[in-house]
Amino acid sequence: MSLIIVLAQASSQGSQNGAALAFSYIFYIFFIALLALSFFPGVQQKTQIMFLSRDVEQKLQMIENYLKDSKSITEKLLKEKGFPDPKAFLDRVMDRFVIDPVSIEPTDIINRMRLLMRSNEDTVREMIMSANPNLDPMTRSQIEISAEVVNALNLIFKVIRHYLIMAKKLNSIMIIYQLQMVAPIYVKYAEAYSKAQKVFLQGIPIGDGLGPLVASKFLMKSSQKFTVSKDTIAGTLEFEGRKLVVVKAEGPMATVGTPGEGVQNVIEREGGKVSRIITVDAALKLEGEETGTIAEGMGVAMGDPGPEKIAIERVAVKYGIPIDAVIVKMSMEEAITEMRKEVYQAADKVIDYVKRIILERTKPGSTVVLVGVGNTAGIAQ
Amino acid sequence: MAISADSKQALKVKTVVKCMQCDYTQERDFQVGDFVLKLVGNCPKDNGPLYIAGIYAETLNQKK
Repeated sequence: MSLIIVLAQASSQGSQNGAALAFSYIFYIFFIALLALSFFPGVQQKTQIMFLSRDVEQKLQMIENYLKDSKSITEKLLKEKGFPDPKAFLDRVMDRFVIDPVSIEPTDIINRMRLLMRSNEDTVREMIMSANPNLDPMTRSQIEISAEVVNALNLIFKVIRHYLIMAKKLNSIMIIYQLQMVAPIYVKYAEAYSKAQKVFLQGIPIGDGLGPLVASKFLMKSSQKFTVSKDTIAGTLEFEGRKLVVVKAEGPMATVGTPGEGVQNVIEREGGKVSRIITVDAALKLEGEETGTIAEGMGVAMGDPGPEKIAIERVAVKYGIPIDAVIVKMSMEEAITEMRKEVYQAADKVIDYVKRIILERTKPGSTVVLVGVGNTAGIAQ
Repeated sequence: MAISADSKQALKVKTVVKCMQCDYTQERDFQVGDFVLKLVGNCPKDNGPLYIAGIYAETLNQKK
């Protein structure tokens, strides 16, 4: 109503010149038209979708840039390492997938899952080695990691793009709202993956290497080291009258090894006469928690989808062995990029924790298995 | 899952070298090829073997 009054007042002011008057009329007509349009059903929603999808498109663009960057780094690496057709190789591994085993019938699902995961790892490794059979294990692991990063970024990009296109097609404000909420989180993940690839290629230990770092500090005192399972090594040493068997992934290649199977083999080798299993791993902190803080608990500290973790739980149940867990907290980005000073410094404190657990909870003459869980890039033994 | 706002911080990667026999410690910039437990020469104090004890990153304004 006030607009009409304003319009009437404006029209009655004869002193205004014609151009200004015409402009103010156009302005008011435009304003009223907009106001009227907003009352039509669907217009508001379409406007919101337009603004929200523009925001998601920007995020998608950022993810695509990380993907392109990662692809070009990998292609360059493959070219340097003598791959005949880097682009064709990358196109093949970029869209690789592993289909989850049937879960409606859960019997033996772990063995099926292990088979699928291991077969996939072995197949990618064979593909790399067949392209260049002379690769050293360090370079091979760097190519494996690069392929995984490109694969993960490609998946993030495609899924976000899929929902964006679908939301536009269906004109669904609910999908676009959800997408707009999660897109910034996936941009952060994509950024972390992109950074992680550069760190792995330089051979710098990552935050997740905390477990292997602790294990390596024990293993440097061990004269007996042996392979216990694929990409996994163990060593024995004596600590305060106890036999300590330390297990970690075989470094300094970028691998997490197969610590579950490794621990299982070690315990079977000891005839089940193990009084304690201690697992050490990096863990994701909650916002507000300090990086490098240590916590202690029970259970297998391991961010594994299932097969490795359950292998330790099963062998522990079989012989009635308690499992201790010591974790060091960090963010997701800190876990997959350069090991931060706080995490490095926490390694020595974790060693004290482990020693205290051994002294408090085991007797002299007993055997203890210590597992340093995590990616051992840049950490030998 | 924590997504800290630390992604824009510039990091400097350091290598910590220690002697296996004495308390000699040296910190230097990371060089490609460094890895933990790599032997990197002899100690200037007692000629014992020097090894890489750790590699870590710190923010450029972080206090040592």
